[in-house]
Amino acid sequence: MSVTEQLIQNQSYKLKATSLTGIAVAGLFFADKCKAEYGINFPPPAADVAQEIYNIHMLTMQIATVLLLIVFGFVFYSLYYHRKSRGFEADQNFHNSWFGNWSWVVVPVMVLGVDLTIAGKADAVLKKVWDVPKEENILDVKVTGHQWWWEFDYLDHDIKVESRYVPEKDSGDLYLREVDNRLVLPTGQKIRFLHTSADVLHAFWVPELAVKKDAIPGYVTETWAELNREGVFRGQCAELCGTWHSRMPIVVESVSPQQFAAWVDDQKAIKVAAAAEASADKTWSMDELMAKGKTLYETKCGACHQVTGLGLPPAFPALKGSAMVTGPIEAHLEIVIKGKEGTAMQPWGSLNDLEIAAIVTYERNAWDNNSGDVVQPSDVKQAR
Amino acid sequence: MTTTTLNHDEAHHHDMPTGWRRWLFSTNHKDIGTLYLLFALTMLFLGGASAMLIRLELFQPGIQLLDPDLYNNLVTNHALIMIFGAVMPAAAGLANWMIPMMIGAPDMALPRMNNLSFWILPAAATMLILSFVVPFFPGGGTQINTGWTLYPPLSVQVGMSMDFLIFAIHLLGISSVLASINIIVTLLNMRAPGMTLMTMPMFCWTWLVTAFLLILVVPVLAGGVTMLLFDRHFGTSFFDAAGGGDPVLFQHLFWFFGHPEVYILLLPSIGVLSHVIPAFSRKPLFGYKSMVGAMLTVATIGMVVWAHHQYTVGMSLGAVTYFMIGTILISIPVGLMIFNFIATMWRGAMTFETPMLFAVAIILMFTFGGLSGVMLAVVPADMQYHDSMFVVAHFHYVLMPGAVFGLFAGVFYWLPKWTGHMYDETLGKIFFWTNVIGFNITFFPQHFLGLAGMPRRIVDYNMMFTEFNVISSVGAIIFGLSHLLLLYIVIKTIRGGKKAESRAWEGAKGLEWELDSPPAFHTWTVAPQIK
Amino acid sequence: MRIPKYQTPELRNKNVRLAWVLGGMAIFFLVTSFPFWTGLFRIVGTQAMP
Repeated sequence: MSVTEQLIQNQSYKLKATSLTGIAVAGLFFADKCKAEYGINFPPPAADVAQEIYNIHMLTMQIATVLLLIVFGFVFYSLYYHRKSRGFEADQNFHNSWFGNWSWVVVPVMVLGVDLTIAGKADAVLKKVWDVPKEENILDVKVTGHQWWWEFDYLDHDIKVESRYVPEKDSGDLYLREVDNRLVLPTGQKIRFLHTSADVLHAFWVPELAVKKDAIPGYVTETWAELNREGVFRGQCAELCGTWHSRMPIVVESVSPQQFAAWVDDQKAIKVAAAAEASADKTWSMDELMAKGKTLYETKCGACHQVTGLGLPPAFPALKGSAMVTGPIEAHLEIVIKGKEGTAMQPWGSLNDLEIAAIVTYERNAWDNNSGDVVQPSDVKQAR
Repeated sequence: MTTTTLNHDEAHHHDMPTGWRRWLFSTNHKDIGTLYLLFALTMLFLGGASAMLIRLELFQPGIQLLDPDLYNNLVTNHALIMIFGAVMPAAAGLANWMIPMMIGAPDMALPRMNNLSFWILPAAATMLILSFVVPFFPGGGTQINTGWTLYPPLSVQVGMSMDFLIFAIHLLGISSVLASINIIVTLLNMRAPGMTLMTMPMFCWTWLVTAFLLILVVPVLAGGVTMLLFDRHFGTSFFDAAGGGDPVLFQHLFWFFGHPEVYILLLPSIGVLSHVIPAFSRKPLFGYKSMVGAMLTVATIGMVVWAHHQYTVGMSLGAVTYFMIGTILISIPVGLMIFNFIATMWRGAMTFETPMLFAVAIILMFTFGGLSGVMLAVVPADMQYHDSMFVVAHFHYVLMPGAVFGLFAGVFYWLPKWTGHMYDETLGKIFFWTNVIGFNITFFPQHFLGLAGMPRRIVDYNMMFTEFNVISSVGAIIFGLSHLLLLYIVIKTIRGGKKAESRAWEGAKGLEWELDSPPAFHTWTVAPQIK
Repeated sequence: MRIPKYQTPELRNKNVRLAWVLGGMAIFFLVTSFPFWTGLFRIVGTQAMP
């Protein structure tokens, strides 16, 4: 017991990523190369609590390494010395010795000592992770998982960010780790994440923040973080959420409070402009709606129904030539606004009238659908 | 204890049917054991093939081979086929073959039910395979892209193949519950006179505990998937928050089954080890009583720590603390088991035939997997590990050595008894080394992938994960192909080879080694007297 | 499906009786899995809010 504790004491002062190779006989072989380019351990934490989690991780790993070496030591000693080919005679009374009679007490007590050491250290950190601070000036960010994109609502600032993966041709080396709109967060302020989902389970995971929480439809779960350095931190959805589970990156951009304030102002201005445009009492031309609709369709609908409109049947039906899209406008509007239950088609009613009008117009005229229908924002208003 | 008194002549030979009737209508524990083992071997190759496809897809970043839904479908099927199709039937096959021979019983207690519990399996396997292929037929709906955990609401979105899967799980569950009942009854009522519970062979003990676990938890899984079926088709909302249900409830039900399932897979192999290690160390098992105690403790604690698979769902602080401490405490009995095995080897006179090689590999690698399990049990750190490739590496390190290698060890150990021929020791050793090295190349790098941030169950990944995935995939090819050698060795041994003696191994102890190799069609028709 | 008569009627009855007890146990767990586990799950409690 005391030996173990001493070991832990000694080890915990030198928490280095390199000690992972302690476990890794194979890892040693690649270690030099890997440390430079590919991670073999958690990325450096960007929050104090994340650092504590990292320390717990290193501690348990070191304990595990020591125990593993002890087991390996005994086994290999025995394999070498207690062989028949070396003429070793089996000790038929070994299990009747003092050791044989009492080891069932000794071993569990020793293991219990190690267990309590780990549990004790973990318990303190666990409380910090779990107790979401209830402060006045905490920044609330509602994180909503969708198939297959993230929505971040800054509840205090009335800003909404939609975050989608960037296709390979535009993201290059960062493919599947890069998004179009990042989650911008200030350093030095406590942030409360409220996780929920619009459809199936997702999980929010950014290793630098050491935050992972499931997004459960109909429920809200909480986590929190306080960033202690600026930078760009990348994570991915960590709960299997269907076809494009691999395409749900999360990119956190950690900035100074001043930069964050400026960013908030920018976002507000953009929002005001968009709202003004949508509510303008204007009749839109086909070309305008098609241009808007193309962009919107490709970001919001393209993941499932594909940019080509061919979909991925049977899960995601083709829109090209589909009965729904070439049929009555009312039914088309309804499925877009309300979604279709029991399928991956979710309600898109949170989009504004102009956006829905543009998407519907685009769908009815793109890919040789050529219905010639022009759907105006006022039609959408009526359909709601 | 009731003893069996019967006419000695009648029990021999005269009622051994021939041709297909021998197998379809079999009530003989040896034939049913063989059927179980052959079934498991078939499914091992099916599940292995799907794993190879998964690894081939992950060989390089990008989507080359499989579309995402097919990938997820394979991930689902790989798990279900391996767990329900390969490991559990293989363990049941060993139980069928060995338990009556070990306890000096003429057959299983309920031979007709034994026949039923095997012959449900091919039907279940058909349903399972149909759930995989149905989407490729017109009108077949979407593929199962949920993983074996079948979490709603995603599993509610899936097409009719999910219904096939639910019924397959029901059938598999019925089969294993019936088999378990049979094994418990056999062990409690059919032991030879003089053999008490505390003197019966350890393999019997492990199966007794396993069978009880199965009876306790499989019905809960059946209940869970039935609720899923109702949610899908009959408008209930057990798991739908919009209707007042809770998606997390399914996770609790699933893992209430799923965690003890780990011990169900593990314990029979622990039982095999308890025979193999003493036999090749030429000294008795160290700590029989503490093994039994440790096993009962594992089973008990294992029943009440299920939620450590769901630390991220948002449980209360009290709940996660409880589950964390409970889970860490499992290391005590498991550690004691490992200790007993090492102590059995200690000061023994060891030789290293293939079963013993596997046994040593299990001790080392299972310890490794168990220790990464302790890391995963720690809630704050699990916030990072959860659903990453680290978890994939961990449970393969637990289940491959813990369950599958144990079964390999058992097969090599008892193959001479079953077939009457010694297997080719050189080939056995080659198989062992390619298998174990391939396994480690495959799964060791996945620890790094997980820590670096690669989630599990993704079809496509960023370039930063390429290197270890390449290594892993190369290892998987070696590992996967090595099993063809196993097939060859088994077939070769069945067809011929050096004649095996009754006691095929110098240090082997137990009633089964008193019988001929291969044993007569009916054995122990007169119960042996245990001193 | 001929079975060699190695079981005395007493042993057979004993076996079948035990099998039914175990089968009943399995069915009990199946039937109670819903209400019981729902209840326990509520006790375990979540910090999730509806």
